[in-house]
Amino acid sequence: MKTARQAGLIACHFCHTLSKLPEEIESKTQYELKAGKAIIHCPCCQSSLHSRIPNSLGRTWALLLAALILYIPANALPIMTVIYWGEGQPDTILGGVVHLFAQGMWPLALLIFIASVFIPILKLIALFSLLISVHLKVQWRPKDRTVLYRITEFVGRWSMVDIFVIALLVGLVQFGNTASVLPNLGALSFAAVVILTMLAAHSFDPRLIWDAIDDEKSIQDNKSL
Amino acid sequence: MNSNNLNHIASIPSISRLACPDCDLIQTIPPLANNEVANCIRCGATLFKQQKNSINRSLAFAITGLILFIISNLFPLLSLKAIGLTQESSLLSTAFSLLEVNQLLLSIIILLTTFIFPATTLLGTIYILMQIKMNRINCYTAPLFRFLRSTDAWGMLEIFLLAILVAMVKLGDVADVIYGISLYAFCLLILSLSLLSYSLNPHDVWNKLRDSNGCSL
Repeated sequence: MKTARQAGLIACHFCHTLSKLPEEIESKTQYELKAGKAIIHCPCCQSSLHSRIPNSLGRTWALLLAALILYIPANALPIMTVIYWGEGQPDTILGGVVHLFAQGMWPLALLIFIASVFIPILKLIALFSLLISVHLKVQWRPKDRTVLYRITEFVGRWSMVDIFVIALLVGLVQFGNTASVLPNLGALSFAAVVILTMLAAHSFDPRLIWDAIDDEKSIQDNKSL
Repeated sequence: MNSNNLNHIASIPSISRLACPDCDLIQTIPPLANNEVANCIRCGATLFKQQKNSINRSLAFAITGLILFIISNLFPLLSLKAIGLTQESSLLSTAFSLLEVNQLLLSIIILLTTFIFPATTLLGTIYILMQIKMNRINCYTAPLFRFLRSTDAWGMLEIFLLAILVAMVKLGDVADVIYGISLYAFCLLILSLSLLSYSLNPHDVWNKLRDSNGCSL
């Protein structure tokens, strides 16, 4: 069993067509290939082909760090202000969860807690540990790490639910001073965190997890020859 | 594209052999029965789905979805009644209400995820499947399908439905929440969208595009 890269093939990211690396490109250094200086296109869908997502680690790190920085204002600043009989009450994400819990709506509190607190933290930790494991060429349980990546990619978008709730409340509750809801800067920061972590998960290439194992194997094979 | 690029087309029978998208291992897919799924032996990723009639069924769900999407946008989703006033909200008005309170970026995010991406997904899927059915695949079919596949995760209507439920429960305590006509259409829209994503088999579409070679490379 060989990987596409070991066989000198490139699989298209979209249509999965296998293409042979042309010789003139094969002779170029890995660096040039990575930098996208030698671009070849998929014969089926014309997308540009690359064996691994170009600069996957660098891009993922950048997006993840940006998300981490914005995670601070997203939690520290209020996400919305509820004005009730002229009195404004700003709420942060955690404050909103506590508020719901105190009102006895604990299923709702749990839902918001999972979507807005648990999933973002899980995503940040998962992506960090995946990145570090790839950097250290860890060979520990690659299948589980791939599953972790798939979960991270799948659940990420559900964090947007809080942003949509705010948008709906702002649209519906507009009764002047009697009762109205205004969005705050925390909401925008939180939306940015969700989008940045989604992009980060998208730019991470799970094949890098397996490369450490494949490279080690091919070194051993060469030795035994 | 120039003739140079033709050299790298592999002389491998196109789809029985493919590399796992998640771990890059090359595998040969055995002939599958209907509704069978081929998983990667190493990492478990789904490699291939065998589905009968996937294109016809997806086209039906996409057209249903488009009709329901139009209905969902015509009428209000939710209304709120308090102190003798009624506030209505629909898909588009939710995005624009954020504009009124000076949240331009948030409003753009909501507009993209709840209107523009779902609309392009529905229209684009119908267009591509029609082209396949009528054998009119051209140069733009493959790049368009590629675009649709890559923006798939950004249409978030099902999350918006969850948000509607949350908002309904939250507001139910303090004011009268009235369900709009569109809410029913919207629930059915989510149903047909998830059936569409279940029945649409991208491998089938790519095979059709690969065979037809509508664009001379």
